[in-house]
Amino acid sequence: MAGTCHHCGLTVPAGIEIGETYAGKPIRFCCRGCHGAYLIISGAGLDRFYRQRTWPESGTPEGVYDVDFDDSTLLPYVVPVGENLSEVTFLVDGIRCATCVWLLEKVVGRMAGVENIRVNYGSHRARIIFDPGRIAPKKLFSTISRLGYLPRPFNRNAIRDAASRQQKSLLIRFGTAAFLSMQLMGYSLALYAGYFHGIDPGIRQTIQYFAAAVTTPVVFYSGWPFLAGALRSLLNRAPNMDLLIALGVISAYVYSLSALFVGGEVYFDTAAMIVTLILLGRLLENSARNRSMSGIDRLLQLAPDTARRTDGEKTWTVQSVNLNPGDLIVVLPGERVPVDARVKRGESEFDESTITGEALPVYRGADDPVTSGSLNLSNAVTLEVTCIKAESFISRLNRMVEDALNRKAPVQSLADRIAALFVPVVIGTASAIWLYWFLAQQNPEAAVLNAVAVLVVACPCALGLATPTAILVATGEAAAAGILFRGGDILEAISRAGLVAFDKTGTLTEGRPVVTDIIPAADIGREKLLQAAAAVACGSNHPLAKAIAACAEDQQITGTPRERIATISGRGLVAESDAGTVRLGSGRFLVENGVDPGDASVRRNTEVHLAVGSTWYGRFLFSDPVRPEAGRTVADLAALGFETVLLTGDRAAPTREVAERLGIGEYHTDMTPDDKAAWISGAQRAGKIVIMVGDGINDAPALAQADVGCAMAGGTDIALETSDLVLTRPDLGRLPTAARISRKTLSAIRQNLFWAFSYNLVAIPLAACGLLAPIWAAAAMAASSVLVIGNSLRLGRQLKKMLPSAPQDIRIHQ
Amino acid sequence: MTKSIIILILLSLFVGTGVWLFFIYTVKKGEYDDIEGPKYRMLDDDDEPAETKKNE
Repeated sequence: MAGTCHHCGLTVPAGIEIGETYAGKPIRFCCRGCHGAYLIISGAGLDRFYRQRTWPESGTPEGVYDVDFDDSTLLPYVVPVGENLSEVTFLVDGIRCATCVWLLEKVVGRMAGVENIRVNYGSHRARIIFDPGRIAPKKLFSTISRLGYLPRPFNRNAIRDAASRQQKSLLIRFGTAAFLSMQLMGYSLALYAGYFHGIDPGIRQTIQYFAAAVTTPVVFYSGWPFLAGALRSLLNRAPNMDLLIALGVISAYVYSLSALFVGGEVYFDTAAMIVTLILLGRLLENSARNRSMSGIDRLLQLAPDTARRTDGEKTWTVQSVNLNPGDLIVVLPGERVPVDARVKRGESEFDESTITGEALPVYRGADDPVTSGSLNLSNAVTLEVTCIKAESFISRLNRMVEDALNRKAPVQSLADRIAALFVPVVIGTASAIWLYWFLAQQNPEAAVLNAVAVLVVACPCALGLATPTAILVATGEAAAAGILFRGGDILEAISRAGLVAFDKTGTLTEGRPVVTDIIPAADIGREKLLQAAAAVACGSNHPLAKAIAACAEDQQITGTPRERIATISGRGLVAESDAGTVRLGSGRFLVENGVDPGDASVRRNTEVHLAVGSTWYGRFLFSDPVRPEAGRTVADLAALGFETVLLTGDRAAPTREVAERLGIGEYHTDMTPDDKAAWISGAQRAGKIVIMVGDGINDAPALAQADVGCAMAGGTDIALETSDLVLTRPDLGRLPTAARISRKTLSAIRQNLFWAFSYNLVAIPLAACGLLAPIWAAAAMAASSVLVIGNSLRLGRQLKKMLPSAPQDIRIHQ
Repeated sequence: MTKSIIILILLSLFVGTGVWLFFIYTVKKGEYDDIEGPKYRMLDDDDEPAETKKNE
């Protein structure tokens, strides 16, 4: 019986006998490569890897092992650091869990000449510090690829560097603000106690000076992002939350500063607290957003940087950017096509899931076009370049994603829209008060005092907390239930969205074919057909062959696996048996070999035929099954008031079938990645807020274009990272749940804002008349903040009741 | 009285500044760049002593 490979976990193909004895038990491998990897790992005494890892399946896509690196191509990525030491930074593909990180660090870290290796689990980046005199970078890379991971050197990207610098500076600003605010708390406590119980004026003055000293850097250094934002919003004449925050902070600060010299109560703590709390909110939001940046890096890496150029006799390695139309290149099995090209010699099957989202390999013969980024599956082919790298598909796709991300206007948040109304009102009131006391009452001192008092009590403490606290609570609860929101504006966008666009293959459907019909020839039994087919199919990794093997396993039909099964690209499989040559493949394949593939009445679905010798045994029909929860999800969304639409690269017939079954009225077929993004942008121009649900690389531009891009675990990395909403379980049912969470959160935010405003509504008129003693203003401010935070915590309890119990393991880094 | 308060406040500021400088140093060193990995890394200590490399 075929077992599974000890190393990669794939089924061991028929006729492969590579084994080893470990702890008295035999273990098997599917290929020499896995055996080699096993020997490296166990030879290094790291067997624990096999016990410790938590994934049952192979870590990397097939065929990426045979990558050769040479020192000249790696040289630009090596940076000297200090004496005799160099550093190289690269991305590692195929990292699934923490054990992969452990394995890489142990194996590479033990190589002679390696000083230090650190693999970042979150970003999949590795940094190696090594002695170039003792070990060549080529050796490092080939060791990593022999372990079954794919190292990819990358150039430092200016935008990414800037983002990480910004994140660091935000962290330092927040750390500084937190440290100084803590000091300030002590002084404020003394001052408040002194207000009620009496305090020596000398000591009070001293403590006030200290309070002023620690608050100044908080306002002007830590609070600089708000001050700069406020200045920009003034220049653009578009009042926003930044302006409101800056107004509150500056007025509290200036008021306290003048009180310090004139004598009176100071409110430095108010200014410092606003800055600290709001910086914390920004920090959390920023780190969620930064994760989406690395997606673009990985997208570009889909098209290799180097290519194997040929002139018919010899081949040599060149940089892909130097290829020109008309050049000939060789692409080996397991390699990706570097630029758009046309097949010149040879024929092979290509995995074009990148472009179409379709999981089935496509056959490409002479003169057929091949798109960059597609994976060569079976034979070495010679290609003629038709397009330079910058104009090739992957580069165009990359530009589309970048454009969409740049063009995407941030959803104007509720708080910003309110600030736009509130700021002019507050400033207007303050000016009116000043004019009234100055002109009508001829009292310049009271005029300034009361006008500033209005600004201080209007200070947006509760207003500033209303949104972030509710969002923090909601995103936390949602993450525990397997729904990740990338930022608070996403919650708002979902709750206001009216249209959900679905990709078909892999999103609404499982994305892999299953056998739906078995049609045997007249005198052949159904079981006999399946048995004969499975015996051949289990030797292939083709999705259709796997589907046949799985179908046989389901019906508990076992056949002896044939030996020496050969794959003929674009045609099918061949094996020898006692009864004659067994052929499993397309109708054309059988006809070419002189077998009549029966009647050809049903032609709608993909089909595979089986013949033994010259006898036709029968055929199999396939389809891509709809996810079990898809129907309920579409119904749920409709009940929540969403329109649904289906956008797919597939043909019309299978799409109509899926759309009708799920009750989706509108569908669009034969769409390229560009078409999908354009359709969504059209819907947006018509005033709709669009949620796009997709999984493939081909959906990336649409996901980036949509107001909310949604991807599920199991989708490609790029889809996951260009998304704003990630479902960490491949369960569509979480999408309506996410919509419900968003609506509930928005209503909590509205309640919070209501409370914050009620406070302002009462306090501002009192302050305007000069009736509000500053200490009462401060107390009321604190009370309204507590009310807002309490309401947000209540939201957390409500959501906990509403959500399904937390899944056992949450892994997004598939 | 005032003098002792000033001394105490300055002392606390001094200690706090030390911690703050250390915090800035850790940020610059990239200590917070990977916040996912360390929680798994702590489980990975070797079964055998790690001297093998030193002896090479």
